[in-house]
Amino acid sequence: MSRSTLAILAAVVLLPLVMRHALGSEIWIFAIFGLGLNLLLGYTGLLSFGQATFFGSAAYVAGWLLKHLGINAFAALGIGVAVGAASAALVGYLCVQRSGLYFIMLTFALNQLFYFVAYQWTSVTGGEDGMPGVPRPAFLGIDFKDPLHYYVFVSALFLGSLWIMRRIVGSPLGKILQAIRENELRAEAVGYDVARFKLLAFVIAGAFSGLAGVLYAMLFGIVPLEAIGFVASGNVVFATLIGGSGSLYGPIIGSFLFIWLSESVSTLWARWPLLLGVAFVAVVLFFRGGVVEAWSRFWSWRSSRRKI
Amino acid sequence: MAILETQNLIKAFGALAAVNGVNLRIEAGTVHSIIGPNGAGKTTLFNLLTGVFPPSSGRILFDGRDITGTPAHRIAHLGLARSFQRTNVFPAFSLFDNVWVAAFACNPSWKGLLWRRPDQYPEVAARARAALADVGLADKAEVPARQISHGEQRQLELAIALAAAPRLLLLDEPAAGLSPEETRRMIALVRSLKGRYTIVLIEHKMDIIMTVSDRISAMHFGSLIAEGSPAEIQRNPEVRRAYLGGVAA
Repeated sequence: MSRSTLAILAAVVLLPLVMRHALGSEIWIFAIFGLGLNLLLGYTGLLSFGQATFFGSAAYVAGWLLKHLGINAFAALGIGVAVGAASAALVGYLCVQRSGLYFIMLTFALNQLFYFVAYQWTSVTGGEDGMPGVPRPAFLGIDFKDPLHYYVFVSALFLGSLWIMRRIVGSPLGKILQAIRENELRAEAVGYDVARFKLLAFVIAGAFSGLAGVLYAMLFGIVPLEAIGFVASGNVVFATLIGGSGSLYGPIIGSFLFIWLSESVSTLWARWPLLLGVAFVAVVLFFRGGVVEAWSRFWSWRSSRRKI
Repeated sequence: MAILETQNLIKAFGALAAVNGVNLRIEAGTVHSIIGPNGAGKTTLFNLLTGVFPPSSGRILFDGRDITGTPAHRIAHLGLARSFQRTNVFPAFSLFDNVWVAAFACNPSWKGLLWRRPDQYPEVAARARAALADVGLADKAEVPARQISHGEQRQLELAIALAAAPRLLLLDEPAAGLSPEETRRMIALVRSLKGRYTIVLIEHKMDIIMTVSDRISAMHFGSLIAEGSPAEIQRNPEVRRAYLGGVAA
């Protein structure tokens, strides 16, 4: 087992000892969201500013079914993944037709479109008030209302998601997506239908976002309008970049920092996003690979000093 | 028989006909060079043949099959591979991964695309290694492409095209920007490929053209002005006027 895997397992076990269970759950949920985005951002080189579209759509649909039809938790997850993937297929199909800035603006614009549908369709989504009353149904006799039980459930799904994502980025598909990031023209010339592969990456990222969305709705018992808003889309990009978009573990570290800081510092200092802003500037200027790169540079600096 | 044939191929960009009524026949097993001054339309012709953009009119036949308008990513699967005039590799990838990606693209089966490990395709890896060995880069397989010299990048450029195991190889100025020593190596390399592949070659360096070509077509302002053996082309007065400018090589 690799050291990074061990570190993550340790974090999963230790987190409930040092922070509220709900906060721990939120970190892993956000990490699942980030894993999906990073397949696009880090591996394919596609900056999507609309990931909340899939996160929010899945949260609304699965949340509504949980609330009104009383489906079980696993069905809700399955539906969330399907809704995330399907909405990503729809949005992705339109976005991959363009590249560069136009691609980014399309993901953003379509996110706004979904946002305003949720905003206006108050009879279903509750509009600005959100959709409260999403239950956390028991399953196989396990009571998910207990925060620790729910934490274990979320952690297991997070670890599963991480394992799947690791298989994907280590597969031929992962290579092809990175080839597209490196040189789109050549990837096309050697025989890959670039638009289709981008769409596939979009759908996979959407499925991860959808899973995160449902877990989020069940965690808080509500789907707030912000879950489908552009700020949520921005936050996941932000967290992933700070953690390091160049590696599989970057979004996990980013998610931890983002959620933990927003919880602990925000109570002390209302203007805490300033801190994130500074961190972001530092990443863009000095550590393009985020915390992951800063960390490895620190260690190589230390070992080079020791040798002297 | 002709493996590739174009019939009255025209590509117009606005008022400019970059390729203007080209009729070309490439015989299987030959090295067929296309020469012409800068801006004659040679690279545009390659872009048409490989589906980068569709022609304004005319037809392209590969193995007697009409491939006009087929998109670039499907052309590769038909057995038509190209190298680029400007080095066009995957810079962060190791040399092995550069050719692996090209070899995998043309693998008959993509089974396990999402879950197998890349090393579970032995036939793809073998093709990738063979392509690197063909261009003499086997010992640098694990080096990132951005760290090798320009000359080696030109060799890698060729290896990526070879990894697809093509039947027709389109080489766009493989010796562009090479030193005399590197050029000699590239000539030897192209010669070693002769016979194993049908090759269409665009080149400015006359020493390469004259030593490796079976046939030469000369292009000028988008049209073919002459075709023949190297000796015939060297004697052709129209080619001299258009291309060699009087100082025959």
